[in-house]
Amino acid sequence: MIAYLARISVKSVVTLFAIVTVTFIATRLSGNPIDTFLGDGLTAEGRAELIRYFQLDGTLWQQYVAFLRGVVSGEFGLSFVDRRPVTQVVGERLWASGQLLLASVTLTILVAIPLGILAAIYRKSWIGSAVMTVAFAGYAVPSFILAILMVLVFSYWLNWLPVVGNGSFLHFIMPTIAMSGVLVAALTRFTRNAMLDVLGQDFIRTARAKGLSEARVVLRHGLGNAGVTVISVIGLQVAGLAAAGSVVVESIFSWPGIGQLLVNAALIRDYPVLQFGVITVAVAVVAINALTDVAYALADPRIRLARS
Amino acid sequence: MTAIADPARPRRKIGKTDPIQKLAILIGVSLFAAAILAPVIVPFDPLGQSLLSRLRPPLGFERYSAGHFAGTDELGRDVLSRSLYGLRLTLGLAFAGALIGLLIGGTLGLVAGLRRGWVEDTIMALVDMQIAIPFTLVALLILSLMGSDLTVLVLVLGIAGWEQYARIVRAEVRRLTTLPFIEAAWTAGAGPIYTAWRHVLPNLVSPLVVQFTLALSNIVILESTLSFLGLGVQPPQPSLGSMVGLGRDYMPTAPWIVLVPAALIVALTFSVQIFGDWLRDRADVRLRDR
Amino acid sequence: MFRLMLTTALAALPLYASAQEITVGAANVSSYLDPGRDHSNVGSQFYYNSFDTLIDRDHSKLDPEWTPALATSWELIEPTVMELKLREGVTFHNGEEMTADDVVFSLNRMMQATFPPYVVRAKDRLANFPKAEKVDDYTVRIHAAREEPLWETLISLQQVMIIPEDYTKALTGDPDVAEDSDYEAFALAPVGTGPYRVAEFQPGEKLVWERFDDFWGEQAPLRRVNVVQISETASRMTALRTGEADIITNIAPDQLSLIERDPELKTAGSATALFHVMIMNQNHPKLEDPRIRQAMSLAIDRDALNEALWLGKAVVPSTHTMAEMGALHQPDLVTFEYDPERARALLDEAGYDGFEITFDTASSYYTNGLLAAQAITQMWADGGLNGKVVVSDTWTGGSPDLMARNWSNPMYFADPFGSFGVMWAPEGPSQSEGRFNTDEAYADSWERFRYSTDVETRKAAYRELMERVKEDPAVLPLYRPFESWGMKKSIDWAPMPGHIPYVLDFRAGNITVAGS
Repeated sequence: MIAYLARISVKSVVTLFAIVTVTFIATRLSGNPIDTFLGDGLTAEGRAELIRYFQLDGTLWQQYVAFLRGVVSGEFGLSFVDRRPVTQVVGERLWASGQLLLASVTLTILVAIPLGILAAIYRKSWIGSAVMTVAFAGYAVPSFILAILMVLVFSYWLNWLPVVGNGSFLHFIMPTIAMSGVLVAALTRFTRNAMLDVLGQDFIRTARAKGLSEARVVLRHGLGNAGVTVISVIGLQVAGLAAAGSVVVESIFSWPGIGQLLVNAALIRDYPVLQFGVITVAVAVVAINALTDVAYALADPRIRLARS
Repeated sequence: MTAIADPARPRRKIGKTDPIQKLAILIGVSLFAAAILAPVIVPFDPLGQSLLSRLRPPLGFERYSAGHFAGTDELGRDVLSRSLYGLRLTLGLAFAGALIGLLIGGTLGLVAGLRRGWVEDTIMALVDMQIAIPFTLVALLILSLMGSDLTVLVLVLGIAGWEQYARIVRAEVRRLTTLPFIEAAWTAGAGPIYTAWRHVLPNLVSPLVVQFTLALSNIVILESTLSFLGLGVQPPQPSLGSMVGLGRDYMPTAPWIVLVPAALIVALTFSVQIFGDWLRDRADVRLRDR
Repeated sequence: MFRLMLTTALAALPLYASAQEITVGAANVSSYLDPGRDHSNVGSQFYYNSFDTLIDRDHSKLDPEWTPALATSWELIEPTVMELKLREGVTFHNGEEMTADDVVFSLNRMMQATFPPYVVRAKDRLANFPKAEKVDDYTVRIHAAREEPLWETLISLQQVMIIPEDYTKALTGDPDVAEDSDYEAFALAPVGTGPYRVAEFQPGEKLVWERFDDFWGEQAPLRRVNVVQISETASRMTALRTGEADIITNIAPDQLSLIERDPELKTAGSATALFHVMIMNQNHPKLEDPRIRQAMSLAIDRDALNEALWLGKAVVPSTHTMAEMGALHQPDLVTFEYDPERARALLDEAGYDGFEITFDTASSYYTNGLLAAQAITQMWADGGLNGKVVVSDTWTGGSPDLMARNWSNPMYFADPFGSFGVMWAPEGPSQSEGRFNTDEAYADSWERFRYSTDVETRKAAYRELMERVKEDPAVLPLYRPFESWGMKKSIDWAPMPGHIPYVLDFRAGNITVAGS
């Protein structure tokens, strides 16, 4: 187990380093902040002044070394835009994104797991097919379309729900649903499958043979066994999937989250914010994956063995 | 958008096509036909502006402008014509992207399957990495940095799903290379390229076709999302996603600009997914368990 | 019913304002607040509420009428030296009293700038002022290098608003030295002398003003103003309709009807003192022949753009001039017009072979910018030019590959120097970026236009410059965009003609909220 953990850790660190380096090089080679957001109306001298001001006058290699030194000593620099420490800029945003993510994952689990169980129990009736068709459709509606349709109806036409920011409970409703659409579709199918696998096993048949009611069989024995590990593993996977959708949803609802921050920082080449933001997201993603691996391994020793 | 492994597709009896599948396939075929025939069937030039009849509503509403069945947009262009051209571009991009993914993923999968050792380890590590990262986010960053032109966009769409092909091909190659007839070919002195071409490829066709179809709908969603955010197809060129994105400002006053392309996107992804699923059921039972 | 319920529920939140508290939904909130460093259209919204200049003007009038502000009187004691008497008993938001030291510090941080962002601003408009000096605690002198025709105009610039010396220097590092980091810190925690203090500032998201009770002039009418950034036009309008915002900014004419249809809402707007322009690269190898650029200009039907995109509410100029420029306004001068026939003829003469001409535009920076770009290339096509829109948020004005793009020339101060002059001076930004050439004759005209103390000489020199631009075009002013603000009927506010563009002036007398 220790060797397994060590291997996962090494893999994670290497991945992180690669991501950070690629980001660094790609940002520097593809443009600079002066031409992208300050350029307009600058004299040649003014431009030179600003290049010094932002410390962009060294070679790529010098800048990279300086950057790595910063990372090692925990100094990630100041945003080019508002000159605040990037840790603060990203930190503020992280919380907003985290809230939305948490809300979506919660909603997804609350909706999808019962639906999945329902579909497994009634797999042969119309209820099962109805659930699965809806889950299927959920995959087909991109989150941005779900989001703007809700905005059109509930905000523009009915004036019920606010569309900007994260100020109150009402602000959470539409973004959470928009993010959950695809997740619900995925998790419903996943749960149904896990339940079907468990329900096909011997001990369930034994339970049925003992004359226990179907509900009791499913909830007590089925869910109990399919449950904990599967759900925790899936939860982690779902979180990864949600991270991807968050950019779109944050942009539509002006959610002050990290997805919007990153894309904006990339557009105007706010290198320090972009770098630290990418590091933060990468750490989160790599951690989720490492945890998923570990959870799998704990759940099933065969995986651990097969992979080593 | 990053598809997580999903072994729980509805299991239907092979050979039977249910009404929803029939409907979906019908819609899908019509959409493909409309996209291919767009230059012939559209009533107006999709780029042709008419500044004096901007924001006119569709047929049946007040201020309808004759001939513009789905209304006009913010520059007086015909929404229906633009949507059909957008559909054409979206599908074209999706095909190009899926093909690139197939090419990259297929090659790497083949190499990984045939040559064990560090080559395989490296390729599979890349596959793991690709599965792990939220690719939409990566695509957004790449396009923000590189600028959005069609070449970059197609490449990004191409690398969006290569890892699925790589896994399928590698697994299949590994399975086949242990079979007696391949070993016989090896001992008979057949080279690796000949073996791959003669014995491995034919066995890969059907799983790859299924994966290709499923990838298509994911790529349509990715492309639409990117274009919606202004990072994909650039105006005046219409794509379904960019029409929705640019039409947002007019949603309260002229919702048709957004609703028509949005409906097309959903119809397209829904029908392609059902079609892919239907293909999967018919093509290869083994695939389901992967 | 549901809506009513929601409204009641929301009323408990601070989103809903008492009569003396309003919320502004702004298309943009600045990423920093320092009047010296900033000259953006985003920043100009915010400074006038929190900062004062030495000399102010009556903003309700188009023609300048100078009024005392932090200076109570001023006179030229020599042709190049102005002496100003300062108001006594003025306090900054942090409680410090304003003295000549603060004024000299504020002026010299610009006039003798070392902090790069200040250097940039100082060079383009304050180049004639080497320094300010203290005479006594309430008297300062400002020195000009040459005789200055625009004394009051330039001393009332946003860039020379007064900030506190001790507070700023003490923000970081050595409290007695002004370091670059002090200015960076100031921009996040700004302090001035105006009627509203900045109580909270989240860059790019939110700004909260509170009434400053020790303001030297008439008390501010509002207790608290929340400005929140709402980038999407449609979202801003929804925020206004749901009551989340009391005033919203930057509404395009297309959207006005939706607000005006609502019995509880209204709009106020004006043709902003700013030109959306098309710039052309004189030095692009394919565009070196001025006839091609003339044709690019002549083929654009700006009146049609105005009718279609601005519902006729924008103002299409005949030359680079605006009514705000007072004595130097020259509406009779015609240097830009629509003439597709002549465009075709010029293209024939120049032997234009149909090569592609790119027109760059940002995706959403300028209201209607992307639409205008697409309409312009269509007009070019009708005039025989092969145009292509390139959408990119990168500023391409400094690229040698630039052919044409949109830009804006705001009126930074009410003089042609404050609009055309800043951007098109010899060695100015346009020339520095390599897309605009000047020669001795141009520089000579520019000198007379900039520094002559005789109005007629300045007008004549400006005409010479405009003729040069007509002959060898590098810019075409398209129109003054019509910008609107939407608001509740209970609010009485409108943009004022004496301000630079976009100022949200909430000082006494300039805004009233029913019930306050």
